[in-house]
Amino acid sequence: MFELNGTPTTVPAHLRDATLLDFIREIAGLTGTKYGCGQGLCGACTVHIDGDAARACQTRISDVDGRKVTTIEGLAATTADAGLHPVQQAWITASVPQCGYCQPGQIMAAAALLKANPDPSDDDIRDGMAGNICRCGTYPRIRQAIKIAAGKG
Amino acid sequence: MNQQPNSTLNRRAFLVRTGWLAAGTTVLTGCSSIIPALPSTKDPVAEDGLAWIQIMPDGRVRFYCPRMEMGQGAPLGLTQIVAEELNVGQEAIDCITPATDQVPPFKMTVGSEGVSQFAEPLARASAQLREALRARAAGKLGVPPAKVADATGGFAGPDGSVLAYGTIAGQSGFSILEADMSAKPKPADRHHTVGQRWRHPDLQAIVTGQMTYSRDIVVEGMAYGDVLRPPAFGAELLRADADKARAMEGVVAVVIDEGDNFVGIVTENPFILDAALHAIQADWSRPAAADPVQTLDADKPWDEDDFEHEILSDGSIQAGRDEATDHLSHRYDTPFAAHAAMEPRAAIAKVSGGKAEIWCGSQDPYFVRGRVCRVVGLDEDDVVVHPHRMGGGFGGRVPCQASEEAARLSAAVGRPVRVQWDRETEFRHNYFQPAFSHRIAAGIDGSGRIRYWDHGFVSSPIIFGLVPKPLSYILDLFVADEGTARGATLPYAPPSRRVRYSDVRTQVPTGSWRGLGAAPNTFAIESMVDELAAEARMDPLAFRLQNLPKDQGRLAAVLQTVARDADWGRPQPASIGMGIAGAIYKGETYAAIVAKVSVDRAAETIRVNHVWCAQDCGRVVNPDQVESQIAGNIAWGCSMALKEQVPFDGGQLDVSNFDGYDVLRHDDAPNISITLIDPAKAAPSGVGESAFGPVAAAIANAVFAATGHRFRKLPITYDDIVPATAS
Ligand code: FES
Ligand code: FES
Repeated sequence: MFELNGTPTTVPAHLRDATLLDFIREIAGLTGTKYGCGQGLCGACTVHIDGDAARACQTRISDVDGRKVTTIEGLAATTADAGLHPVQQAWITASVPQCGYCQPGQIMAAAALLKANPDPSDDDIRDGMAGNICRCGTYPRIRQAIKIAAGKG
Repeated sequence: MNQQPNSTLNRRAFLVRTGWLAAGTTVLTGCSSIIPALPSTKDPVAEDGLAWIQIMPDGRVRFYCPRMEMGQGAPLGLTQIVAEELNVGQEAIDCITPATDQVPPFKMTVGSEGVSQFAEPLARASAQLREALRARAAGKLGVPPAKVADATGGFAGPDGSVLAYGTIAGQSGFSILEADMSAKPKPADRHHTVGQRWRHPDLQAIVTGQMTYSRDIVVEGMAYGDVLRPPAFGAELLRADADKARAMEGVVAVVIDEGDNFVGIVTENPFILDAALHAIQADWSRPAAADPVQTLDADKPWDEDDFEHEILSDGSIQAGRDEATDHLSHRYDTPFAAHAAMEPRAAIAKVSGGKAEIWCGSQDPYFVRGRVCRVVGLDEDDVVVHPHRMGGGFGGRVPCQASEEAARLSAAVGRPVRVQWDRETEFRHNYFQPAFSHRIAAGIDGSGRIRYWDHGFVSSPIIFGLVPKPLSYILDLFVADEGTARGATLPYAPPSRRVRYSDVRTQVPTGSWRGLGAAPNTFAIESMVDELAAEARMDPLAFRLQNLPKDQGRLAAVLQTVARDADWGRPQPASIGMGIAGAIYKGETYAAIVAKVSVDRAAETIRVNHVWCAQDCGRVVNPDQVESQIAGNIAWGCSMALKEQVPFDGGQLDVSNFDGYDVLRHDDAPNISITLIDPAKAAPSGVGESAFGPVAAAIANAVFAATGHRFRKLPITYDDIVPATAS
């Protein structure tokens, strides 16, 4: 049993060894969290567990027992006002996505980064986001969007 | 609609229809009895565009976009073109990716042609529709069409009353399938939509996780499939024992076709799929393979003076040698490379009752349809492909092999089946960018003019890389692969020039990758030009400008612009260097790059700090999308220069995930600055690949400026720099 975007979620016993990524995509039907590598190398599957960024492909569903998992679909609801999370809004303002596939993971990583460090330097962003690959090369716009979300854009 | 070649259509007609004659395959006629499904390469004409645009009863414009979206934003640019001609705002037009039964086949989405090849036909088609609507409006108002003026979303009559498209179109909507094509698109000085920074309509869905890629699709009653694929190039299935797998709970079926190297499995749920697949014991042959990189060695044909194709020959190399005072001869090499798009491909197939539906992402849904037809033995009229947004394409998603696998499995079990490739499969079972090996000999005179340029290179077929045996045997005898040669003719004009190459197949399947040959070829050319500048003791920019012929003014302009932006020529501190390079992409887009690199000895890294780009791509339809594409091109150039290389072991792939194939990440991504030169008269040209070519050379040239070490082989690594600078 864990909380998925605020909803108590029960895990059938035979699926306790499944990855969190497979569970949220195939059972919960939340496909915003992406598979990119399955080995913790790309960040496409980034979610929040108790508010911290985590790789859903490297997390067993049994490991989130009793914890709060937030996916890209639930991110906006973690903010006070209705509408989008400031990071999502900044992503639109900076017109970040190209193919878009990596972006849910990038946004989840950026939201966690900003929570831990509300005023990141360029180098903080570079290092903090290095686990998230964007093959389309949207890195400069991601940096710009993170600064917008930090109120410095 | 949907007339497809059938057995009665002769091969020549087929090849003409699909555009392959234009690619130089005339020789095929009568040579082969087997014409495989091939990607569509027929260029669009304005009449095609008529089928893509409709006015709906509510007055909205529906645009069936003939370009697949994989991040390049071409559908948005084309939407702006249609909206421009029809005088509607972004809120009044719906851009829809058509299923294969909704519009006739169109050319695959490749080559940065989305806007360059489709804008003009689409503008003309939209203009025909606008004028047909005007004629109807005039009829309704009882005035001549000349008295009916353009208005937003409709027309205005002589008394100023507005007639909206919905009213004109009526209950059945409105489209035209034939027109005399006499209506003219608006002149550029009347554009209000082209040139604007429209936002991509998918942004909201992407940032909220609602965007649907092929892996995300669920079809009612769907089962999960996977395939055991050959473990090595050329491996053949010897034997497969599936008893254990068949006995596992949740296994729906095992499908084995030994003659066709096919071992597939279908399960009820995705969680047991991997275990069930690997419960199948399969033995494969292990053919010996030579090192493909060594096979592609420019010095062999160079020494034997024996290249297959000559693409440029001016003057006499010997005469040039006699005139030159300084001579250089160097070899440049780039490795095999992978697309590594972030979304490993996936497909769902539903084959039943003599029909098939496919949901997938492909740069050519009609090609996928053709391949699926062959796999399951159906006619093209009975197969529909629903294309989806792709998580990156980069030339690697013309076929969607997962579609064929899913179709086969679905046909066997009579249920919809989803096959989704994992990262390892994506790395190991698609085609690759071939390695390139170049030898360039060139010489200058005492005033720094290039007198001769003799360039020979070896790589593998790219455009024809996908053509299967036995057709490839015949093709290779006659056809010089233009993709391999893309960007290989230098823009400089020494009196004597010769460019030759050989396109040789190895065991490694090769095909299109961003820019095809342009980036490897530009790396070689712009590295050698830099070496000649150093030999002449001239500034690299001044040397280039001096050697460009007068008719290359647009290239000279982007070089000068990027130099100005980057404050070129200002002295740099030790360990920091600036490098410049430029190129013309497909004869239409001009891009110049300056890279600034620093060598950090403490961290033992080479860092690209900043990349400037100036580009002239003709009229800019959407600057936001163009700048985004240039940023992507720069990232690819940095990645190619510093990271990418497919490793081999014993002639076989030695890579399965991103730990074995490095790509550019945030920590190495430079800051960038972009200037677009928007010449008044030039038509829009391609931007998806144009700025990529010169980046690696600019970086290598900058590393030389910083350290004195010349990298002639990519990727550039810090470790290789040490010996040169330690001395
Ligand atoms: S899919 Fe989890 S890190 Fe790549
Ligand atoms: S936007 Fe395509 S991988 Fe990041």
